[in-house]
Amino acid sequence: MTELPLSGIRVCDLTWVIAGPTATRILADFGAEVIRVEHGQAADPIRFGRPIAGERPTLNNSGFFNYFNRNKKSVLLNVRHPMGMEVLQRLIRVSDVVIENFSSGVLESWGLDYAAQRAINPGIIYCSISGFGHTGRDRHYTTWGPTAQALSGLTLMSGLPGKPPAGWGYSYLDHTAGYYAAIAIMMALHHRNMTGEGQAIDIAQVETGMVLAGPAVLDFTVNGRSWLREGMPPGNRAWEPAMAPHNTYRCAGEDRWVAIAVRNDAEWEALRRAMGEPAWAADARFATAAGRLAHQDELDRGIGAWTQERDAYQVMATLQTAGVPAGVCQTAGDRVERDPQLAARGWWTTMPHPELGDAGIDGVAPRLSKTPGTNRTASPLMGEHTYEVMTAMLGMSAEEYAELEAQGVFM
Amino acid sequence: MSGPLAGLRVVERCGALGQYAGKLLADMGADVVKVEPPGGSAARAIGPFVDDVPGPDRSLNFWYFNTNKRSVVVDFAEQDGVATWRELAAAADVVIEDGKPGELDRLGAGYRAVAPQAPGLIWCAMTPFGQDGPWAEYEATDMVALALGGAMMMNGYDPEDAEEAPPIRGHGDQGYLTACHYAVQGILAALLWRDRTGEGQFIDCSAHEAISSTTEVALPYWFTQRVNVIRQTVRHAAATRTERWLYRAGDGRWVLVFGVGRDNASWKRIKEWFQSEGFGLQFDEPRFDDPLNRQAARGSPEAAEIFAELGRFIAAHTAEEVYRGGQERRQAWGIVRSPEEALFDPHWDDRGFWAEVEGEGRDGRPVRMPGAPYRFGATPWELRRPAPKLGEHTGEVLAEWLGRET
Repeated sequence: MTELPLSGIRVCDLTWVIAGPTATRILADFGAEVIRVEHGQAADPIRFGRPIAGERPTLNNSGFFNYFNRNKKSVLLNVRHPMGMEVLQRLIRVSDVVIENFSSGVLESWGLDYAAQRAINPGIIYCSISGFGHTGRDRHYTTWGPTAQALSGLTLMSGLPGKPPAGWGYSYLDHTAGYYAAIAIMMALHHRNMTGEGQAIDIAQVETGMVLAGPAVLDFTVNGRSWLREGMPPGNRAWEPAMAPHNTYRCAGEDRWVAIAVRNDAEWEALRRAMGEPAWAADARFATAAGRLAHQDELDRGIGAWTQERDAYQVMATLQTAGVPAGVCQTAGDRVERDPQLAARGWWTTMPHPELGDAGIDGVAPRLSKTPGTNRTASPLMGEHTYEVMTAMLGMSAEEYAELEAQGVFM
Repeated sequence: MSGPLAGLRVVERCGALGQYAGKLLADMGADVVKVEPPGGSAARAIGPFVDDVPGPDRSLNFWYFNTNKRSVVVDFAEQDGVATWRELAAAADVVIEDGKPGELDRLGAGYRAVAPQAPGLIWCAMTPFGQDGPWAEYEATDMVALALGGAMMMNGYDPEDAEEAPPIRGHGDQGYLTACHYAVQGILAALLWRDRTGEGQFIDCSAHEAISSTTEVALPYWFTQRVNVIRQTVRHAAATRTERWLYRAGDGRWVLVFGVGRDNASWKRIKEWFQSEGFGLQFDEPRFDDPLNRQAARGSPEAAEIFAELGRFIAAHTAEEVYRGGQERRQAWGIVRSPEEALFDPHWDDRGFWAEVEGEGRDGRPVRMPGAPYRFGATPWELRRPAPKLGEHTGEVLAEWLGRET
């Protein structure tokens, strides 16, 4: 097998739902051996998550699960059984990384806080993702992605003025908390390469959103300005840097939109010409950035009248050819079926899966020239690798395996 | 103690797109040198500014995204400027740049010109669409990148909240930040490879691919069922409409409530809370006992009654009361805050989350801004210096890295 940057790194993956599995997807893409530890009595809800192939969830037919769990292995382990807990400790002993995204305090209640893990494996890197972290008065509070988005301010920063917040239509901070976990683990692996020292990493999902709103916080602490004010959030108009026109415009067809941003006078001139120099756009008030910012309603009406009769991709091509930043608001279907850039760069592929068939999947970002991340296997079936991991990795004999299985350890 | 990247030398030539990648490395101990033109990085012109007065050292965007870096001015218009850049790049472990594809190559300042002298060099090129392909030369802003990457098509409104509403972009340059998250993942993977082999490599980081990888359920729906999801107010885009999560509390603020009573234990806690304040007295009737009757998606009269009562209860409380009351009863409810409101939530003080910086126009009065996204036990995040003034470290770095007399 091709050597990858994380080849030889073993991850004991206790994560579920989205944030944790996002982190381990990245580690697995770059070659880590990721072993999902799963329990039939408390299955990852995403194994039932829609979309599914067929009528009823089977634990193994979720396209949602498949997307976040490629390249990983799955073992069934009943950690509520004393022998199951002992097997988990054996797995930790031969792992480089332990990662979980339970509520804070869960691993401690299993007797597996960092001190206990270190006693089993002195070089272990232990990464925890929880809603509010392991310290602080509200550490027992819990989050879903949208909770963290709301508390960090990101939800409020998305919406039309005078309307309720629009927020994010998915768990953006589940992705992002996962990204920070993968980044933290790789930094800790580098530090371990340099010094031999492992460590514990505590990630609070809300904090991974708060760090994404730095300039807005500084506008308050320096200038005393809050996003809770008239006209905010500004919809798809620009906050900073200020520019106009800057918006989404309706195009021909059902729910089709194009985003257009004009950063300077030259781009405004280019847009004006690309629209065929309509009379309204020759107005001197639009010749300067300040004038355009002051008359955005008229600008947006004029541009919208031009776009609404045109195909969104045509508008984008016309404007990009003229040097104006413009992009279609693409659906997932657009990205997979129409986007010439992703197609030309070979972004999409399929991997065979017993219940999903040839399941679609995307590539690995970013692209490393010598050791790019790879798609090797679709997501594992529940417990697909239990026997292999127990025998080949932990050195159990077939008899020991059978005995533990009979005791209900592998369920 | 110092960060896990102590000793790592990074050269960064980035504006708004790539500057956060440099910060993520610098905040964890790397020595990050920001190479700027004589007029300063384009990011120095991004507001808001201190007291709304523009100036190269007054951009709050720059203050935030350039902590722990040093600034060196190099003029690429001068022949020896390009040579200085090449020497700095060759002396570094990592280069991050967000120029257009081929821009640095045409100046003799790209990866191809430097790599032969620096076999261990990791060079991360960040662009909107990648180094090749039909859109490689296209222009993008953060909004355009979020539109094409698919994020915007998932954010928006139910028709009853805003009719005919467009897809909505979340603010804060989230598309650029997502690209930086991926750039750093790639740089660290390449660094781990170099730890083992000594080999460097080139990294092609496309914001378009990074954003497209950050749209959760959208791609699985297309791959599995050839369905595009629809936008809904403050909740997950889905194949069909789902129950509302957003409620307005008595003080006019918004809270997120993910239903009530999915399971019997949480139903009991919520019911007791409501009834202790005179709400939901009918909930003791046996028809509410079956969890299936309590699920809005099934359209039962009991679910409709529960949701009506929930709305009444929330309207009679402040958002803070709803948020904390729900959390104390193990519900992952939230309150829609403005970013700065977290400054007044003592939990983040308990964790020592905030960092304090000083800067131009503040007369030595430090201000708070967000700190660490992660807590490392042995090698913590650390604010060693505020964002650099333009060219503040030119002489120092040229002497230290290249041995030049100043």
